[in-house]
Amino acid sequence: MNLRRLDPDRALMARVEARDADALAALYDRHAGRLLGLAQRILGETGEAEEVLQEVFLFAWRAAASFDPTRGSVATWLLISTRSRSIDRLRARRPASRPEVRSLEELPEGPPGLQDVEGATVDREWERLCRNAVGELPEEQRRALELAYFEGLTHQEIAAKTATPLGTVKTRVRLGLMKLRDRLRPYFESGSHGP
Amino acid sequence: MAHSERHEELVAAVALGMPLGAERAEIEQHLRDGCPLCEELLVDFRQAASAFAAETRAVAPPAALRERILGSLPPARVPARRGDFAAWRVLAAAAVLLLFAVGLDDARLRRQREDLRSQSADLAGRLASTQIELAQRELRARVLESEDVQMLILGGHGPQPDAQGRVFWSPRAKRGVLVAANLAPLPTDRQYQLWVFLAGKPVDAGVFDADPAGKALFESKNFPEANAQNFAVTVEPRGGVPAPTGPIVLVGAPSQG
Repeated sequence: MNLRRLDPDRALMARVEARDADALAALYDRHAGRLLGLAQRILGETGEAEEVLQEVFLFAWRAAASFDPTRGSVATWLLISTRSRSIDRLRARRPASRPEVRSLEELPEGPPGLQDVEGATVDREWERLCRNAVGELPEEQRRALELAYFEGLTHQEIAAKTATPLGTVKTRVRLGLMKLRDRLRPYFESGSHGP
Repeated sequence: MAHSERHEELVAAVALGMPLGAERAEIEQHLRDGCPLCEELLVDFRQAASAFAAETRAVAPPAALRERILGSLPPARVPARRGDFAAWRVLAAAAVLLLFAVGLDDARLRRQREDLRSQSADLAGRLASTQIELAQRELRARVLESEDVQMLILGGHGPQPDAQGRVFWSPRAKRGVLVAANLAPLPTDRQYQLWVFLAGKPVDAGVFDADPAGKALFESKNFPEANAQNFAVTVEPRGGVPAPTGPIVLVGAPSQG
């Protein structure tokens, strides 16, 4: 099964590159909910998360030509862009205003009334695979990666926060990503990897 | 240096966007020396890390936000023409390669860049496929912050309505590359000059010549640090001027609506 072969985002990106605003609107409708959720998870429910979303879609509009499908799906491209912009803003803040990272169990079950938003994300199967892969990580690897991914912490900062030797943290981050990659790689797209 | 677990740790850090300090030079050098394993890991790790996004809940954005975002898009100045995109994609690869190869003191890379430059005499659609591959390979190795690259389309203006251009720039790398086509030949005492608009004011980004076919691939050596809002190209006395005096021949749409 190659999820990405069915990816309608690729056709939308080609149209965005041809300056078709309707295609960007379609990309927005497919992904804005997920991207805003990610930005809010990192930045908290602030206006900043919405600013990040605006930057990301302006970036997609301007830089559609720099999208390289061999480096991942359109959804991943948008997620990486959202995450890196959010982390940049987070790092610019004082540490005191950082929202605490929450692990999966601590999150409430899906907020009521948002099923339609989830439904708009065609990549539900992909997300299920991702959640399973993350869920299968050993707890300490998952924790280290959550601190890096959502809080933008460095190896050193993770070591300090979790009272763990630096070398152990580096190993956890590496092994955790390696496990995720091995688990998800069959579904990565592209000529050079994937089935 | 041979591939090691330490390199994998550094690649993991890069994929997660951790600031690396001195270790950054080490992993960049390792990638530059050519480590297909790390190149592939970098791409894979970035995708793998994105799995954590699935832990978050989608949030319905306010309807007003959709209007604001879609309403803020810079209008397209250049009508899309079928068939141009493949050529532009090649130019984009070359431009982005130049963008990130700037300043690297590496003989092999300098040679490759010179090769790319020599091709700029006949740019659009004519870069050999090996060079597209080279550009893509170099991109994987080098463009650790490719999501930072921005692009703006420039349209012909004033005396040169058929001119076309695109500017690729990276705020983080403070680099910019202009690719242009259909530029008119100029008298020998004239040159094209690129301007970056910051807070509404044009700032000199360097002068360049077009080739006899009207094409140009220009890498700005003094690209302003602050976020660019717009770009324009004017015709100026050879060597350039501190503030624009000649006609605007290429201009982009304002970035903020």
